[in-house]
Amino acid sequence: MERRNFLMSMVAAATLAPQEVRAALHRPSIRYLRPPGSLAEEDFLATCINCGQCSEVCPNRCINYFGFENGLKSLDTPYIIPREKGCILCMKCGDVCPTGAIKKVERTAEAIIENVKMGHARVDEQLCLSFQGKTCGVCYRACPLQDVAIKVGRLEQPHVQESCVGCGLCERSCIQMPQAIRVIPDYG
Amino acid sequence: MADKRPAFLVRRHLNKLRWVSLTLVFAMLILLPYLHIYQSFEAAHAYDLLAQSEKRIFDVMETLTAPFTDDPEEDLDFIKGTTWSGTFWGFKLSDPLAAAGQAAAGLNLHWPFLITALIPVLLTALLGRFYCGWICPATFIYELNSNFASWLRWAGIKTGNRQFDKRIKYAVLVMGILLSGVTGSVLVAGVYPPAILGRELYYAIALGGFGSGIIFFLATLLFDLLVARRGFCRYLCPGGALYSLIGRYRLLRIRRDVKTCNDCAKCDVACEFGLRPMSDGFGQECNNCTACIAACPTDALSFTLQPVDGPAQGPGHLGRHFRRAQTDANADTRTEVHGT
Repeated sequence: MERRNFLMSMVAAATLAPQEVRAALHRPSIRYLRPPGSLAEEDFLATCINCGQCSEVCPNRCINYFGFENGLKSLDTPYIIPREKGCILCMKCGDVCPTGAIKKVERTAEAIIENVKMGHARVDEQLCLSFQGKTCGVCYRACPLQDVAIKVGRLEQPHVQESCVGCGLCERSCIQMPQAIRVIPDYG
Repeated sequence: MADKRPAFLVRRHLNKLRWVSLTLVFAMLILLPYLHIYQSFEAAHAYDLLAQSEKRIFDVMETLTAPFTDDPEEDLDFIKGTTWSGTFWGFKLSDPLAAAGQAAAGLNLHWPFLITALIPVLLTALLGRFYCGWICPATFIYELNSNFASWLRWAGIKTGNRQFDKRIKYAVLVMGILLSGVTGSVLVAGVYPPAILGRELYYAIALGGFGSGIIFFLATLLFDLLVARRGFCRYLCPGGALYSLIGRYRLLRIRRDVKTCNDCAKCDVACEFGLRPMSDGFGQECNNCTACIAACPTDALSFTLQPVDGPAQGPGHLGRHFRRAQTDANADTRTEVHGT
């Protein structure tokens, strides 16, 4: 009976909100970020020619390339796994990108906050040490936009602000396992 | 006795120059990932924290670049990328196939990118498929593979030499462009050996391992070895097809001088693309690689500037067929003279 209920609700969802169901079906199973300044996902896939220069210019070597794990369309396109290595927002990949799949963004805090939207960091207060009474503040110190993207409260509890660009350095630096702060990707 | 040493002809040695060019391009594709690794080590200011193997890379690259730069972290950004798309001192160059594929995938013309393919397109219009013979990093491997196949044949092992229709590659090009357009992703990059090879070399050196493309590339090597000599370039390569089309009315062509040709057919054997230089059969597939010029024992092949191939000229005047025809003609005239 429960399965039937579940199926019925699935059918209902499919008929009532096809848009959301389709989005759910296409949601990638891997949580990855695109390089800073990337176009919205569909445009990015149509524009990127898989030349590999963005990774080749990255001083932090945080950009890697998909095989078939994210679908045929993503083959050889760049991604960043923030827990492995975050983006240091040097903006060199946008300079070198020949097609404009990664936009040119000037390397100033204002321009970056304005144009870069890789994702948005979210704190899991159940996991975060500061929220559990043990002062930490590592993510705050790792953040390249301190006091703009993350503000700290009592016991250095991180509060992510609207201007977070999702570079992932906080997630990379989190000393909790699993990480208490993670970047929720924004694919445009 | 008169000095019999033949005159020094530059064109006879162009084939060696071509190998130098191919080797340089391939060496750059290997060097660039190492330079990038070195740059990232420089950026991290952490020499003491490097592993022994990383220190070795650092030291070698430092020795190589020290005469040219004081600030490797920034200065070495001057050259990036592969033959698919690259940046040289801020100047960007791209493969015409990348431009075509991207225009199809995005269904729009993104001029800042298309402009980067302009110089290759112009050069191809003038020089034909020179990219395939002189620059393509896959050609470097494919020609070595082709030489390997001739060693195998010498050792008595059979290798493939099947012939297909050369027009198949135009179908591959059209399909690749269409599929790129339909899926909205530059899929044609996934079946184009130079793009694959450039990427995969970078993955292998800088990102810790080959990606999936290398399997495709190895498959093309096996295809060349077991099914058809240079089969991928001749029959399947979408980039080669595009270059052939752009270079159809190229200005620089190879021409046979019928008076000095002796019909030895060495050029026909030397041609990697299965063309027939001895019967003036060049066409749009010729990539001006000059292998036939280097092979010609009588220097009958040379360059010419013409937008179309000349007409077929018949057997070479130093050859058996032509001389026999000549003697027969002479004999005929003699009998005629006797008859009167």
